[in-house]
Amino acid sequence: MSSRTLMSALRGAFLISALAAVLFPLTWVTLASFKTPQQLNDPSLIVFQPSLINWSYVFEAGILQAAGRSAFVAGITVLISAIVGSAAAYVISTYKAGGSATRFGILAAQVLPPAVLVFPFLTLAYVLRVNDTLIPLIFAHLSFVLPVVTWFLIGFFDSVPRSLEEQARVDGFTRFKAFLLVVLPQVYPGLGAAVIFGFTLSWNDMFYGLILTPSKSAILPVAIAGFNTFRGVELGSMSAAILVAVVPVVIASFFIQKRLVQGISGGAVKY
Amino acid sequence: MLLPLLAVSGVAVGLPLAYAFYLSLTNFSLTQQGPAGFVGVDNYQGSLTNEGLWSAIGTTATYVVIAVTLETILGLLIALSLQKQKWARDITRSMLLAPMFITPIAVGLTFRFLLNDQLGAIPYLLDGVGISYDFLGTGNALLTLALIDVWQWTPFMVLLLLAGLESIPKQPMEAARVDGAGALYIFRRITLPLLVPILSVAILLRSLDALKVFEYVYATTRGGPGTETETIQYFTYQTGIQFFRLGEASSMAFILLAIVLPLIIILFRRLDRAK
Repeated sequence: MSSRTLMSALRGAFLISALAAVLFPLTWVTLASFKTPQQLNDPSLIVFQPSLINWSYVFEAGILQAAGRSAFVAGITVLISAIVGSAAAYVISTYKAGGSATRFGILAAQVLPPAVLVFPFLTLAYVLRVNDTLIPLIFAHLSFVLPVVTWFLIGFFDSVPRSLEEQARVDGFTRFKAFLLVVLPQVYPGLGAAVIFGFTLSWNDMFYGLILTPSKSAILPVAIAGFNTFRGVELGSMSAAILVAVVPVVIASFFIQKRLVQGISGGAVKY
Repeated sequence: MLLPLLAVSGVAVGLPLAYAFYLSLTNFSLTQQGPAGFVGVDNYQGSLTNEGLWSAIGTTATYVVIAVTLETILGLLIALSLQKQKWARDITRSMLLAPMFITPIAVGLTFRFLLNDQLGAIPYLLDGVGISYDFLGTGNALLTLALIDVWQWTPFMVLLLLAGLESIPKQPMEAARVDGAGALYIFRRITLPLLVPILSVAILLRSLDALKVFEYVYATTRGGPGTETETIQYFTYQTGIQFFRLGEASSMAFILLAIVLPLIIILFRRLDRAK
């Protein structure tokens, strides 16, 4: 066997083990969600009569309502971020509006530790009597989704040729119309990726949810964590709840993976 | 057109940031009646001499170094393998990247389940080959948490490094190969140096994110055994939410901010230069 075939065999084996490492926990949780509590006692059990007991339990426990609240918060957050973010990203990319201070602020806000902002949100929510509602949570999520979406879009506006807009202006478009009808459509793929990515970030956040909406308006990640503490550990129903949170975003992620790099790096890396 | 952004982020970031700074100068507590008293830099003095905070900073630093180092090495190996892969490219990539899109609390709880000593698959499999290892026990728990981070976030490294590998020019490698250079030599002397800009950005982004670790701790150890796995974010959460000392917690958050600010500045410079 030549060293080249040996190398490619090793590479194949390495990738297969990486895939196994990724898929094993997910498969395990999926299996567990269909097991009865008795069946869960036997970790070796792979083939069994599937039961829907855990699924009906999590639906009764209100997992869909929690998922609905998460989707609502993520939807509003991402809608505001997309509108505000695309306008800002366009002028930052095209006219260097706001200078490097603005771009630094956008980057810093993305990576700001949530521990810094969460306590003001909590106290302000108490003062304004909107504690344990979704309103402070939407603002909290805007604090990181908006900068991420804006940053993301700067990377895409950067790759739109300036001549396109100049041509539109020559053709008699106002500056705003040229943006809306000529430049913006060029970044629709990037905007789509930014929207899905921003939605995922909001959907996945637990820290703000845990502190701002701990009980009656609990969002999905907080609801999942609830299966861990109440009435002991209910592994089967916890597994079903985990899948409710995981499956939609993982499927959505398949559509944006290719555009993610250009967005995360703010256009520094093209793919 | 920049105005809406400035307005929304003023309300969502600027205002709470300023308010947090004000809180950090008061003895504000959720349980206390009446207005908070102004205490100046007392909270900062208290926090800076708080051994718990320093121990949490040390724990977090250890966690970040272990996790990000492993993620960089594994991510680079996987990206190099994927780059040369010929069959089933898209599906392999999609599946390998999946973990980074999962909500971290779900990942934490999944591993808590997998590592459970009676019901979990991993201790069961290890038992089959005669190994008994207490994943969340004294001395092991922090490493286990870092490995959970590796499971979830190596894909992020793969994503960025693969893009980096595919965007660097091919000619220098070809020329070196024609001149008879070995694969390892080409990697060390040509590929790796060309990859440094994106590699450093990936490491910085990942470190800044790993610093915020909270969900894995919340799902598995809750800071234990003892205070072994108390990370900064978890420690601040406890001070603010379980003990209601918001003024003190806010001062800790600003100390954390002072620590990460240099990293953010370096990241910004790197990204600017890459453009």
